Amino acid sequence: MLTSFLNWFGRTPLTRRRALWGMALVAPNVLGLLFFFGIPVLMAFATSLQQWNAIKPPVFVGLENFMRLATDPAFWQALFNTLKLMAMVTWAEIVLALIVAVLLNQRLRGRAILRTVYFLPVVTSTVAAAIVWAWIFQPRYGLIGNLLAPFGLGDVGWLTSRDLVLHPIAAVTVWQRLGFDMVLFLAGLQTIPRVLYEAAIIDGANRWQRFRHVTLPLLSPTTFLVVVLSVINGFQIFDQVYIMTARTTRGGVGGSATTLAYFLYQSGFIRSEFGYASAIALVLFLITLGVTVLQLRLQRRWVYYEAGEQR
Amino acid sequence: MLRRVTLLILVMLLLALPALAQEATPEAAGTPAIAPQACEQPGSLTMWVWDENWAEVIGQAIEAWQADYCPGAEVDLQVQPWGQYWDLLKTNVAGGDMPDVFNMSQDRFYFYASNDALLDLQPYFDEAGVDTSLWGSGMIDPYRWGDNQDLYAGPVNWDTIAIFYNKDLFDAAGVEYPTAEWTWDDFAEAAAALTDPENDVYGAAVYAEYQSGYPNWIAATGTTPIVEAGRTRCTLTDEGSLEALNFLKGLYDEGYMPSVSVVGGTSPDDAFNFWLAGKVAMVAGGSWKLPEAIEKATFDWDVVQLPRNPETGRSRSIVHSVGYVASANTENPDLAANLILYLVSDEGQKFFADAGGVAPANPALQQQWIDSFGDAGVNIQTFVDALQDSQGVTVFDEIWDKINTELVVNIFDQGMSVEDAANDACEFINTQLPEQAQ
Repeated sequence: MLTSFLNWFGRTPLTRRRALWGMALVAPNVLGLLFFFGIPVLMAFATSLQQWNAIKPPVFVGLENFMRLATDPAFWQALFNTLKLMAMVTWAEIVLALIVAVLLNQRLRGRAILRTVYFLPVVTSTVAAAIVWAWIFQPRYGLIGNLLAPFGLGDVGWLTSRDLVLHPIAAVTVWQRLGFDMVLFLAGLQTIPRVLYEAAIIDGANRWQRFRHVTLPLLSPTTFLVVVLSVINGFQIFDQVYIMTARTTRGGVGGSATTLAYFLYQSGFIRSEFGYASAIALVLFLITLGVTVLQLRLQRRWVYYEAGEQR
Repeated sequence: MLRRVTLLILVMLLLALPALAQEATPEAAGTPAIAPQACEQPGSLTMWVWDENWAEVIGQAIEAWQADYCPGAEVDLQVQPWGQYWDLLKTNVAGGDMPDVFNMSQDRFYFYASNDALLDLQPYFDEAGVDTSLWGSGMIDPYRWGDNQDLYAGPVNWDTIAIFYNKDLFDAAGVEYPTAEWTWDDFAEAAAALTDPENDVYGAAVYAEYQSGYPNWIAATGTTPIVEAGRTRCTLTDEGSLEALNFLKGLYDEGYMPSVSVVGGTSPDDAFNFWLAGKVAMVAGGSWKLPEAIEKATFDWDVVQLPRNPETGRSRSIVHSVGYVASANTENPDLAANLILYLVSDEGQKFFADAGGVAPANPALQQQWIDSFGDAGVNIQTFVDALQDSQGVTVFDEIWDKINTELVVNIFDQGMSVEDAANDACEFINTQLPEQAQ
């Protein structure tokens, strides 16, 4: 550890000066991160060991919040809901984004317009979009209700049903994330050298084979990035739940739409248990960190980096 | 809307007690019920309200206060929209940066009072010679706190609930207009006759949310809705509660009332918009809805008292009063109390009475409020009458979502039985009651 730091820092005046310049240049960013991220995280950690309702002085309670969390059925339900949502969202988001990216990577009339259209949801306010989607999913008078009416499904209460409510939330999440993933995939597709496709054609590979054996492996670093981002995002799903259930069930009947982030909000802002909410935040952070580390470990098994590109 | 609006309770009591009523009448004519006082020392205050319309009215009142009673005082009046008001307030409390004066609702009062965050206004009312009983107990009792039951809020306004009905739909169905004496049976009959599935018209929508919805019907049976006063017990599984909920569910099961999903939400605004769109003939609405109905309804309509329970013969309305409170940590407590005194005085409340929106809490100004609607052809007196047998707010923030959204969705959307839904709600409510009550 120390030796590698010294190697990097440099043993000659020239390399040392360069390293100092480097540090000076990243300093503003690091300071900002420390200030606006590091300090709040430390404060959250301290708060998680306290009982605090925001008005009365906090009381130190040790690990009580965490012990309560372990036995709180509402927490496990929120964790389970979050995982269920991620199971629905992640693969759909990635597969659809990849398909759209490959299609829009071809010479196509109106390509720029189509790309923009797919990217629009990303730059649309989630709150505004979720309000409109809540209308769309309203039974009978909503768009979906009207479309499904011929099949006798016009009056289905998508957002009020215990069993169905995660589906519209997942659909909106996919819709919103798709464009961002598409841009990443498009960038990834541009980096694949044409010569490889030409070589594959000469070898007699058909379209599917070229996609399967050239595109997919060479795109795997991008896919990896998209998966990691999608999972992190999945753990943080909040706005969609907050807005789409705001007019009806606020978190789903019996907490059926309550995600970890929404549970955190409820604990802090509705029940004024800020210590407990901080404990949830910390656990959420650890889970996300753990899953991300796991993914980094597993990436060696399936992510292919071109030779010479050391990462 | 309890929240947005508010409530009122008390005035009723005033009107109900002949002695008080007699006292109030001469006051209205001569000396003011509550007179403002000059401030001792001007300073600066921040004030939060959640309604833009109110901010305008309150802003005018503050200007008058600055001109007549406290030259040199500065008030930074801020609107924090309802959707984020309480979250922001909590955040600011946590950051030690509460507004000096702000609006409070009765269901949220407990949290702030029990944490010593509010200024005791009783000494100021006493010093100014205000007899707080002039508001009547329903409007202010939920704002009392401590061993001496001191008053911590100055009531801004009141509101009660009545049935808004579409006369055109009544005429089309050949149903007679209701009177204040009508019963639940009459109501059910009318709902059945008014329902017209072919034209997508429902008879009634009256179950949604605490203040406008099913709790009024529970109150009519003589049972305190949802939680006994003082947070001692969940009452949803009591006989009266089950009777009221089963009555409403019967109407829903028959198809006379739309589901939550069809209406689009559990807020009474959703049901009211449905009524404005001509899709339901009768809706339960608060007095705060009058301006909107007058402005937007494209059909003939009127209001009538909630129907009477056949056994008790009572028609009861939930009443709520929004309050002005001051922070316990304000740097200018005397000034904050002086401003609140002005805002609840006859002079300060006049601005609300004239604005023709919510009804002012000050009992001296009721007729002025009714008159402010001009010749609307609507029986606005109904809302004042509803004060006579009204029910004060006993619920609180922590159980709000459970009783306003979950219980309602379970029964009026998911088809759960009333008994199961009530048991489910009580199980949760019990976890939120003070320890000794469990």
